[in-house]
Amino acid sequence: MATTTYLSNPTLSVNSVDLQDQCHAATLTVKYDALESTAFGGTSRVYVAGLGDHELTVDLYMSYAASETYATLAALVGTATTVKLKPTTGATSATNPEFTLTGTYLEALPVINASLGELSSITLTFKGGTYTVATS
Amino acid sequence: MTYRITSPRLGELGAIWEPSEGINVDALIAGGFIEDVSATPSKSARTKFVTEAPDADQNIEE
Repeated sequence: MATTTYLSNPTLSVNSVDLQDQCHAATLTVKYDALESTAFGGTSRVYVAGLGDHELTVDLYMSYAASETYATLAALVGTATTVKLKPTTGATSATNPEFTLTGTYLEALPVINASLGELSSITLTFKGGTYTVATS
Repeated sequence: MTYRITSPRLGELGAIWEPSEGINVDALIAGGFIEDVSATPSKSARTKFVTEAPDADQNIEE
């Protein structure tokens, strides 16, 4: 049976700071390098997993007010931190897993991104880190 | 080190906060989300200064 997943209420924390109310898009991609292990006698290429190379991309509304987007991120650029994502605000469970990247690196921070007549929004990419999933 | 929450985005204001693995504490302090309260001297550690009235018997004679 076909199903549709509509997520409008995921939670996001960056360095323990709750940024759900500033976030309007998030993509966490779990990826492992593909190491070719094809050997003589094989008829198709085959691969095994190498190092994890995970990535989280988030779109945040920019705010320079106290305890908001800029205050959270200004001192994080060029360092590693922990980010957490959940599909909904409910308790962590098998149907509402919490995804965590520990030690993920924030390479760049657009400190201003402005267009006339639009809310300022920035896109961040957190690279690498250890990926874990909590279900309880 | 002991930290106190100073922003509701992190938790209850005034509550003691324990950093978990991978958290950049310096960035939280710089952003005003927590404060380090471990360096604050306790009340008993403060130096008490006693101001005494000048001794009237001490007259300086030239």
